[in-house]
Amino acid sequence: MNSSLHAITQSFYDNLIAGDAYLIVLKGVWITVLLSVSGLLFGTIIAGFFCFLRMSKIKIFKITARIIIAVLRGSPVLLLLMILYYVIFANNRTDAVFIAVIAFALNSGSHIAEIMRSALGAVDKNQLEAARMLGFSRSKAFFAITLPQAGKIAKPVFQSAIVNLIQWTSVVGYVTINDLTRSVNSIGARTGDPFFALFFGILIYLGLSYTVYALFTTGERRLEAK
Amino acid sequence: MIKIKGLTKRFGNLTIFENVNVQVNKGECIALIGPSGAGKSVFFRSIAMLERPDSGNIYINDQDITQKGIDLNQVRQKMGMVYQGFHLFSHLNVLDNITLAPRKVKKQDREFAETKAMELLNLVGLEDKASFYPSQLSGGQQQRIAIARSLAMEPEIMLFDEPTSALDPTMTCEVLSIIRKLTKMGITMLIITHEMNFAKEVSDRIFYMDIGGIYEEGTPSEIFDKPKKEKTKAFIRKLKLFNFRIDSKSFDMVAMNAQIEVFCQKYNLGSKQVYNVRLFLEELIVELIKTCYTNSPPDIGFTIEYSDETNGIVIYLSYNGPDFNPLNNISSGFDNLGMLLIKRMAHKYDHLFENGCNSIIINL
Repeated sequence: MNSSLHAITQSFYDNLIAGDAYLIVLKGVWITVLLSVSGLLFGTIIAGFFCFLRMSKIKIFKITARIIIAVLRGSPVLLLLMILYYVIFANNRTDAVFIAVIAFALNSGSHIAEIMRSALGAVDKNQLEAARMLGFSRSKAFFAITLPQAGKIAKPVFQSAIVNLIQWTSVVGYVTINDLTRSVNSIGARTGDPFFALFFGILIYLGLSYTVYALFTTGERRLEAK
Repeated sequence: MIKIKGLTKRFGNLTIFENVNVQVNKGECIALIGPSGAGKSVFFRSIAMLERPDSGNIYINDQDITQKGIDLNQVRQKMGMVYQGFHLFSHLNVLDNITLAPRKVKKQDREFAETKAMELLNLVGLEDKASFYPSQLSGGQQQRIAIARSLAMEPEIMLFDEPTSALDPTMTCEVLSIIRKLTKMGITMLIITHEMNFAKEVSDRIFYMDIGGIYEEGTPSEIFDKPKKEKTKAFIRKLKLFNFRIDSKSFDMVAMNAQIEVFCQKYNLGSKQVYNVRLFLEELIVELIKTCYTNSPPDIGFTIEYSDETNGIVIYLSYNGPDFNPLNNISSGFDNLGMLLIKRMAHKYDHLFENGCNSIIINL
């Protein structure tokens, strides 16, 4: 009992304390968070744009958006990332993190665009008409009626899309970025005790995912209290 | 107030209505009646320019709103529409439902809008429901909130598109009593309704709409008591008829009785009379199935007609088969107690046989 406890503390020390390894892990967490947050931010902006095109009445916009969304949603984000890194940006020295943000923004953007579209489609059109009859302009009615209701409908799916995005950022090690996964992996390789380091990595990912969950629930409570 | 000239609406090749010319004066209450699918709702939506008419003009206070460059949002502020399906904003509570438009469209401050909303809630009798969400309210309550929501914009015209069609009888009463109140407030109102008694009582004029447009208009007594045109006559007469067919021995008698009861209630018949109508039909039908249709499926139809003049009921029963009058074929014993009963209680009864078809007419 005593010896196993000792082994764990030793392992903890070797993996995270020795040689300031925790700093490496923290840096990895920072990169993962940076990729997730900016991927989500730009992804949502792109998604809004894609969704607008996709729902447009102009056929050419609609079809183009449809094809782009289908391709992006149907291909692995890692391949998209590698194509951007090794093919498109191969000849200039663009920062790998910047390229990764583009890849994740595009990928999550296409998913979120579809989430938006289905949520907007699920809103009761009759309520929109009722608002128009009360004198709301088209855009005012959209912001007062359609958007809040669509937001409510989209929320659970949007939340899981964010968690998915966080987890998919773990592949950026392929393009030389030292994110959380890559840093715990290299620590494990160095100490020859990968179990502890990798397990610790999972705990951090879990923590990030549940932070998202917590943010959403408190946000919801605030909205309800309003 | 509202003047409609040569209004035409088509969906593709299908003409909904053509060349409609009507005028509604300020403070008037108009009931729009007619068969389903006659285009009553489309007509309303055209008045609000939610559907663009193909030709014609709509003048609201002498302003032609079909012209280009008209600010329809401004026009619609003066119009309230109440729908069959209420269409309350499901993400907002009752108070916000009512204050949303005054605040966002008319830029009233919250306090002012809410004070007024509470007055309106008082008017529709739902002050205690201010913080409820639409999903927590009954249909009748939702519809009263929808009316309050429209009134909050202080409309000059209210359009009611079948406001009670989705409601059960008690809720219908709640909503109709609110509309009655509004008629006294001098708002110009148009109501699409299938509640004929309500239309008769509350409206100044009635528009009868059939496929193609407004077919006949007049005061309630002109339309209901002496309609001039063929289709109107048929429609009004049909309101007073109830038809039912029986083509299987296992027909749903419970449903039949329920429908007869609903029909009779529309004309305020006493419960004794309703009971008699049901009893007569039940006895006759059971007797006919027993004697005439032992080997074949029954082929019986009946019509109940209500007559204003005598306040009485006439039952027309017809059935195919050999010449047979159950009312004359009474043997002794308890078997035919039912037939005996009918003979005693009916004011008058007749039996006819023509071309293999029997018919019995009973006056109650």
